[in-house]
Amino acid sequence: MRFFSFHLMPYIGLDPSYTGPAWVTCPNSLFDPEQGGALYNRYLDELVYAEELGFDGVCVNEHHQNAYGLMPSPNLMASIVARLTSRMKVAVVGNALPLYDPPTRVAEEFALIDCLSGGRLIAGMVVGGGPEYYSFSVNPAYARERFQEAHDLILKAWTTPGPFEWIGKHYRIRYVNPWPRPVQQPHPEIWIPGAGSVETMEFVARQRYAYMGIPYFHLDVFKRTFQMFRDACEAEGYQADPLQAGWLVPIYVAETDAQARREYEEHLWYFVKRLLPGITIQPPGYTSARSLANILKGAGTFLLNVTEWDEIVAGRYAIVGSPETVTEQLVDALGQLGTGNLLGLFQLGSLPADLTRRNLELFAREVKPRLEREFPPGAPVHRPAAAVA
Amino acid sequence: MGTLHEEFVAAPLGKIQVLRGGTGAPLVYLHSAGGEAAGVEALEQLAERFEVIAPIFPGFGESEGIEQIDGMDDAVFHLLDLWALLGLDAPNLLGCSLGGWMAVELATRYPERVERMVLVNPVGLYLAAAPIAEMFGRSPGELAEMLFVDQTHPLAAAMHAMDEFSGDVGKQIDIPIELVLPMWKALGATARIGWDPYLHDPKLRGRLRRVTAPTLVVAGAQDGLVPLAHAQTYAAEISDARVAVVEDAAHWLIFEQPGELVALTEAFLAEPR
Repeated sequence: MRFFSFHLMPYIGLDPSYTGPAWVTCPNSLFDPEQGGALYNRYLDELVYAEELGFDGVCVNEHHQNAYGLMPSPNLMASIVARLTSRMKVAVVGNALPLYDPPTRVAEEFALIDCLSGGRLIAGMVVGGGPEYYSFSVNPAYARERFQEAHDLILKAWTTPGPFEWIGKHYRIRYVNPWPRPVQQPHPEIWIPGAGSVETMEFVARQRYAYMGIPYFHLDVFKRTFQMFRDACEAEGYQADPLQAGWLVPIYVAETDAQARREYEEHLWYFVKRLLPGITIQPPGYTSARSLANILKGAGTFLLNVTEWDEIVAGRYAIVGSPETVTEQLVDALGQLGTGNLLGLFQLGSLPADLTRRNLELFAREVKPRLEREFPPGAPVHRPAAAVA
Repeated sequence: MGTLHEEFVAAPLGKIQVLRGGTGAPLVYLHSAGGEAAGVEALEQLAERFEVIAPIFPGFGESEGIEQIDGMDDAVFHLLDLWALLGLDAPNLLGCSLGGWMAVELATRYPERVERMVLVNPVGLYLAAAPIAEMFGRSPGELAEMLFVDQTHPLAAAMHAMDEFSGDVGKQIDIPIELVLPMWKALGATARIGWDPYLHDPKLRGRLRRVTAPTLVVAGAQDGLVPLAHAQTYAAEISDARVAVVEDAAHWLIFEQPGELVALTEAFLAEPR
């Protein structure tokens, strides 16, 4: 089991009188630059602290024009973290490839972070969220095509000596020859986040990359998703390695269950009610008919629809409680999902710095060692219900 | 009323669904982003006087080939292919919204392949002072508000009913896939042509002088999507064109005021050239 601390870098203190979506049209007059600067520095401290606590790595991601996550360029954040740390992985999960034109920019920046970190980059590549297609006016009907072509171009840029010419449908570059090149050969580990799109899973399985489940669904949805991914790997003729899958989930640990809920609940609802609205917008042509059916199956359980604390607990939308409770729920959930990477969101919504720090410490000290014993390296993680009983 | 029957033609892009019926001078109907054609009352009425031919554009209904359409160039060449396959030289055109834009794109490039044009709330232009409203990312009920004056019209009511499934952002609970899929496909096909630039071609206005076909631009006075200035601009820039405003209609006036659209179309197409 590998442990990552994932940060969204949310905007805290969104004007309470504003009730609209946190995405695309959320007025940027609500962003206070002083507050923003303080948050960026605080959040970077939280990421860097993960190395001291023994995490395997940290994750940052890309979103635009929203209050949910303030990293339009996760590469900037990743490069700062890379400079301030020396051991842990730095995962960018990921760059929204169709938004980069030309996408050789991704090949360059990822290679730079890989050089800077001495080969610690995990290169995430993502189609981009629905809202991004509104914020960038990039045509969502070409999202998959552009993602595919950009991916092929980046991989070729990393693995084929330049210069070479790229003549594709969406990108035409006379001289592809990026400096720098990545330290990791033939290329950095690649992660692909997905929300249940069948084509994405098949692509990840074919390439033997790792599939990261996009969060905020009921555990049952993830069970189906990761089973589909394992099936896709089997269809490619091999058994998926647990490290090829990752589950992203909000985690909060305190001394007791009651204290955990008391400290955490308001910050979780800030996240659900203030930062999530608008995230689910589905631009036209963005998803194939085949995948739409699968995505709709899970849509009803999306965290936005959850209004009761008991549902949060029962659906494992967040793992909250004492070290014992959190350990127990994670052992159970990870066994059901079979994912070898645990991506914890230790800061969520408006959770303040002191509680975030203590959460990280308690998890690292009290929970992580037990999970490491439970899921030793190289051993299978997936424990179908029948086998457990 | 005339009846339209369904047939399929093998176009270079793939199989194309065509609704066809009636006798008389050929009148090609180019549908809107809704993909309407089957069972449209106005078309059945027009089939009493004309040979109505309504090809369904790739990506809509059962027509194939949308993956080969990357913009209006491809759309126009597809129309030329259809003209050849259907034995049409220079038919009359009736185009609604997206279909109206497509008709004009054909008429600017190949003016000799169009006899007369009736454009109903056509998109295709960008007017800084009167932009086209946002159609993407809207719930069916929100779209109905822009498309209809009368929210109790059966189609508008059906779209509002879909909102009870899709509801607010994120509240997408138990949506029957068969209800969503046709609309999903139609919007995706529309996005291929009209996402960026948004429902317009920056070059089109300057090319309108090339249109030779007499043109009637029909505008719903209460169109919530395309402001009246668009119809007026088309009429001002096309050499032989005028506007007819339909008072109790919005964008989808073919559904809300079929009688009036039929009367306007018949009268216009009967005018001596």
